[in-house]
Amino acid sequence: MARPNEGTPLLEVRNLEVRYEPKASRSLTAVQDVNFTIAPGEFVGLIGESGSGKTTLATALLRLLEKPGRISNGTIMFDGTDITHLDQDELRAIRWRDLSTVFQSSMNSLNPVVRIEPQFRDAIEQHSDLRGEDVSARVRELFDMVFIDHRFITAFPHELSGGMKQRVNLALALALDPKLVLLDEPTTGLDVVVQHSILQNVRKLQEEKGFAVLFISHDIGTVLDLSDRILVMYSGRIVEDQTAAELLREPLHPYTKGLLGSYGDPRAETVRITYIPGRPPDLSLVSEGCSFAPRCPEKIDRCLTEYPELLPIESGEVACHVAALHRLVGADGIELPERNRRFVGPEFVKTADESAHARERDIVLTVDNVTKVFEKRRGLKVDRTVAVADTSFVLRKGAVTALVGQSGSGKSTLARMITGIDSPTEGRIVFHGPDGDQEVASFRGRALRSYRSHVQMVFQDPYSALNPTKRLGQILERPLVNYHGLKGDARRKRVEELLETVALTPADRFINRYAYELSGGQRQRVVIARALAVLPEVIVADEPISSLDVSIRAEILELLNDLVQDHDVGILYITHDLLSARMLADEVIVLNEGRVVEQGPVLQVIRDPQDPYTRTLLDAVPNPF
Amino acid sequence: MRYFLRKLGFFLGTLWAVVTLNFMIPRLQPGDPAELMVRRLQGKDSQLDTAQVEAMRSMLGAPDGSLWTQYWAYLADLLRGDFGVSYTYYPFSVAEVIGQAIWWTVGLVVVTQIISFVVGIVLGAYAAWRRNSKLDTTITLGSTFLGTLQPFWIALVLLYVFGYTLGWFPTSGGYSASTPGLNMFFIEEVLSHSTLPAVALLIVTPIGWILGMRNTMIMNLGEDYIRLAKAKGLPDRTVALRYAARNALLPSVTGFALALGSVLGGTILVETVFDYPGLGRLMGEAVSNKDYPLLQTLMLLTTTGVLIANLIADLLYGVLDPRARRAEG
Repeated sequence: MARPNEGTPLLEVRNLEVRYEPKASRSLTAVQDVNFTIAPGEFVGLIGESGSGKTTLATALLRLLEKPGRISNGTIMFDGTDITHLDQDELRAIRWRDLSTVFQSSMNSLNPVVRIEPQFRDAIEQHSDLRGEDVSARVRELFDMVFIDHRFITAFPHELSGGMKQRVNLALALALDPKLVLLDEPTTGLDVVVQHSILQNVRKLQEEKGFAVLFISHDIGTVLDLSDRILVMYSGRIVEDQTAAELLREPLHPYTKGLLGSYGDPRAETVRITYIPGRPPDLSLVSEGCSFAPRCPEKIDRCLTEYPELLPIESGEVACHVAALHRLVGADGIELPERNRRFVGPEFVKTADESAHARERDIVLTVDNVTKVFEKRRGLKVDRTVAVADTSFVLRKGAVTALVGQSGSGKSTLARMITGIDSPTEGRIVFHGPDGDQEVASFRGRALRSYRSHVQMVFQDPYSALNPTKRLGQILERPLVNYHGLKGDARRKRVEELLETVALTPADRFINRYAYELSGGQRQRVVIARALAVLPEVIVADEPISSLDVSIRAEILELLNDLVQDHDVGILYITHDLLSARMLADEVIVLNEGRVVEQGPVLQVIRDPQDPYTRTLLDAVPNPF
Repeated sequence: MRYFLRKLGFFLGTLWAVVTLNFMIPRLQPGDPAELMVRRLQGKDSQLDTAQVEAMRSMLGAPDGSLWTQYWAYLADLLRGDFGVSYTYYPFSVAEVIGQAIWWTVGLVVVTQIISFVVGIVLGAYAAWRRNSKLDTTITLGSTFLGTLQPFWIALVLLYVFGYTLGWFPTSGGYSASTPGLNMFFIEEVLSHSTLPAVALLIVTPIGWILGMRNTMIMNLGEDYIRLAKAKGLPDRTVALRYAARNALLPSVTGFALALGSVLGGTILVETVFDYPGLGRLMGEAVSNKDYPLLQTLMLLTTTGVLIANLIADLLYGVLDPRARRAEG
């Protein structure tokens, strides 16, 4: 096979369509009319929200689609070969040697019962002439590339941390010097700092070795940071194809604008982040017109009837009637919205002034020199782990305190102590409630119950925080019955009120639905409504937006902010994401290995970090601006 | 290492508990075994002769001394392999009776279990790998259908068709005309006698393994490491065996060890149908004759068997699944 010349693409996808045709339910088109190319050595980002079809597209490119999914139209040319319909035996020659991958949840992509080396060895021996000691030498070389100690070569996968596994998977993907590496959300679920270092590693290796990358992610910050060119995917189609610099300078598709708008620079004086209202369309229903139109602030009549073609506009390609009319054909008598770089949708704004006021409000909870030590018996030995060391801070009414740190920094342990699930080994947590000052650790039985009506929790994963067998009405009634003894009409009225507070309106449309019928954002609203039901004074929100799609995160942040303003709730906002901490919080506490390393007004800490650890965290925030 | 020692400790502890319970339970029961024995020999309504009862007691080795000394004596007897005298096969000791029957059962059931396991795992893995193919459907439907049949019913059908009607195989016993020993004639007889019981067992026992293996393997096939193995361009054989089957095998191995453990209980119904001289038939006889020493020893044997099997399963699991070692250790 001849090497392609400069200029001929390494990967060329034409009119690709992937359909799922299950016997039991409606069939759907997950990927539709997708066209793009990747040049040798190019780093291309593919961005889209959950359900946009980006993983299906990746699976199709790798020719790993399983029934009932199949490529129903189009071609995939890889390195001069049409691989669209090659059979598995013919594909084997290309796999891994030329085209390798790191999967989304790579936590699980190593065989758990086999040591790591043989998992490199089988791939290397399958595709090269290396044998015996030569393979081992190659594995050591690969481990060096991703900075992992050689002693882990003979380890089992479960002996590695999440970040290490991901590095190993990266090393594995590079084992045979492939031409294209497909990275499918390779760092989702990892800690920001770890994520940052892995992605930097990827970029550096890519520049050294010159392989091409298709980097799939929902996080526009990292994609912009790393990629040369970006593909934006929405409901199974590519809606924009631009160089990263152009995309940042002047995004053309309203969806791209929306995604960009959901991202901001935490260091700015005033941060505005937008969100895209609504949710992506159901792909099993045939829709007319542009699939983004129902959520689009710029839509015109034509958008509702005709799907816009992906047309070359300026340096890239965009599938948008409005952009095309603006820049190609001219308005031609059609009334168009103004040309706009920003997403003209709802936005959440936070200014520095608001916070100053909040920091003078009454204290509702004091954490006073708290230390928590966990003891674990191992036979006769006792392992002591200091989870939280000598930590002090306060929560105020109508103010948000952000607790920022990596996983393992003691954030969750603090949350557990504040909600009375665990008690501190040393120090005190004092609640300044309606019955005077009370120590949280002293609560038992009835007192603890009553305390829980003052302090509520919002969890990270709205998918598992709601009982799947209960209707929303029943879910929200529960705390009302438990804590307030409300009955009949009063109870129903309160439930409706709660749904309306979290903007699930009209309430009677939601009251009888089940959680699985809702989108992630809507579910998180229900979780927040449930926490609000008992009129708490403090809400502990543990990463409430990290499992949500970027485009709707601002929506939940705004809701939380409204609660603080209108209901005078104090929020402890636990996160590893400095941008959202910046958006929501008045004060920030940076936690490292159980210790507070820095604390103060959020803008001050972010703009002028004193502690090296805070700087590490800040550097890990992708900054394409 | 820690994992293995811990498992061994658990095993010894449980074994002691079983042995002790086996000692306690009969002593908590009302009635005197010697009296019962005499009554059985003489008929229900006869007058009890105290002298006879005394004689019987000394012959059976009636317990005396405190509970504590009895317990020590019992443990010492166990270590010597002295389990008392069987009522049914008097004057043979329980140890002798069991010692004869056990080889028949071990031979029949262990062999069929191993064959069933291997056949089941292979068919199950193959069905999962080619799932929704014709072969998979045939295997799955066939197993589900056969699974509803009872082994003893199959045994009866086999006995009728191949034993009585066609006369291809003997209908009862373990051997007939020959004397036990290592000669061709005897071996031939044993094989022909055990064919029908073995077939009866072989029709049903693989089914659990087939379905279990197929389901775990299908679940495993959805895992990322399988997708990655395919993306690596490894041959199907490697993906199916080293990646999918190797992981799917884990739960079955535990199941298999446990199944082997319960072998010592014999397969009462099948052995009874073929009048096969194994532990199952012995168990049936012990129950119907109220042969307490025999029954008690069989129970002890069965529970010990299950315990040992459990230990083997745990140790094996530790070897096969590196994660288990750490989680416990």
